[in-house]
Amino acid sequence: MAFISIKQVSYTYNGRKKPAVKDVSLDIERGEKVAITGLNGSGKSTLAKLMLGLLKPQKGTVLLDGKPVQKYSLPEVGEKIGYLLQNPSQMLFNTTVYNEVAFGLKWRGKSRAEIHRICKGYLEHFDLWQLRDAFPFNLSEGQKQLVALTAILALQPACLVLDEPTKSIDVSRKKKLIEILEDIWRQGTGIIVISHDVGFITRFGGRRVHLVEGEVVDAAAGC
Amino acid sequence: MLQLDVRTKLLLVVIFSVLALVYQNPKVLALLLVVNILTLSILGLPLAIFRGFYKFIGLYVLLIVIQSFFVKSGEPLLKLGEMYLLTTDGIWYGLAIILRFLILAASGLFLMHCNPTELTLALVKLRLPYEIVLMVQIGIRFIPVFINELQNTFNAIQLRGVDLRRVYKRKVLRVYVSIFSPLLYSVWQKAEKLSILLELRGFRKVPVRTYYRDIALSRTDYVIMATALLMTAIFVYAVKGL
Ligand SMILES: Nc1ncnc2c1ncn2[C@@H]1O[C@H](COP(=O)(O)OP(=O)(O)O)[C@@H](O)[C@H]1O
Ligand SMILES: [Mg+2]
Repeated sequence: MAFISIKQVSYTYNGRKKPAVKDVSLDIERGEKVAITGLNGSGKSTLAKLMLGLLKPQKGTVLLDGKPVQKYSLPEVGEKIGYLLQNPSQMLFNTTVYNEVAFGLKWRGKSRAEIHRICKGYLEHFDLWQLRDAFPFNLSEGQKQLVALTAILALQPACLVLDEPTKSIDVSRKKKLIEILEDIWRQGTGIIVISHDVGFITRFGGRRVHLVEGEVVDAAAGC
Repeated sequence: MLQLDVRTKLLLVVIFSVLALVYQNPKVLALLLVVNILTLSILGLPLAIFRGFYKFIGLYVLLIVIQSFFVKSGEPLLKLGEMYLLTTDGIWYGLAIILRFLILAASGLFLMHCNPTELTLALVKLRLPYEIVLMVQIGIRFIPVFINELQNTFNAIQLRGVDLRRVYKRKVLRVYVSIFSPLLYSVWQKAEKLSILLELRGFRKVPVRTYYRDIALSRTDYVIMATALLMTAIFVYAVKGL
């Protein structure tokens, strides 16, 4: 059984005539690598929110691990899927970078020493350790993006949904991001990235799902 | 739908809201609500939103119980030992609150379908300073966006393991307290950015702002305003005895 199973899902935002996502069916296996591509406004972020149950489809169903995603509470979904919002600022709500990354770990009852070890590991990977006491809201866009990403990675979920993870990060960090994604994918984590960064997608590999005006089209149609 | 000037609609909103706040007698308020709904339908404004109000029935009952609990006067209808659960006065006051709420919601409907630019113009013509008018306009436009962003943040918090729905846990309060200041800061940051953007685009560079579009009061507007004022006078006089 597929890990995420989307069946004939359509979603139209309030006050809009055209659906943002239209009749999408998609099965994503456990541990699979998927790249969702498409132009601005093609419905990629909406599809991600539907996968996580943050939006309720007007038509169709989304199954997560065989159960309708609406049946889970958000913390339960969060345990299965790590979600990076397209706008990383909306994911920051702590007073220091360290606390931002430690937040989810604390709530999952990890010990202080273990939290320290995990946070340090991930923050050092992205050269962010020296920023650990900084206020997340005052970071640059790229740094915010990385902190939000680190906070998700640190929770080590079974699957990641990353909405435009390379949006404002530099070349060297992009390389590190690819490395770490490759690494955790080998260890069995499913990864779904949403991106229109052709270079990144090419190196990331994985199955391509291309959206045009809310509909899935033949992946060969390009990026 | 009747094409009315925004100022006419504003007058109607003011009349109904003020009357709703002035009167406390549920009989008067019920009459006012009926008049309000009639006015809305005469002007051809949609009433569909009222269909949703039955969802709040639980809240209404709760209001009545709370009122009974604190308002000790009136005949007790339901008692638990020395505690009054339901009194006639409780029902009476609870009803007044509910009706007031409904009237305020219904009078807001007058403005629901008006164009934001026209609303701005109307406020400018009422001689409000343009700066304040713009702030009102930005406020109205940005509140939904801001709520959406906050919703995203709350989702992000919950996805990281906090169940905000289970408020009985003491810890949840701590979460709210700890995230409050960063969120406040982000709002402030946004406001600052907005003000810089406004100035960069020449806001307040020249003292008088002119508009391409204009609004004018038509004969219908004058008739409706006059009728509204007359009706208000009649209403006030008629309910004096109640
Ligand atoms: N909160 C919203 N309210 C109304 N329309 C929205 C909202 N969010 C997105 N949309 C619209 O839905 C469509 C798909 O948006 P989105 O999924 O964000 O696209 P993408 O992530 O592929 O750029 C766009 O036309 C966008 O304007
Ligand atoms: Mg997007």
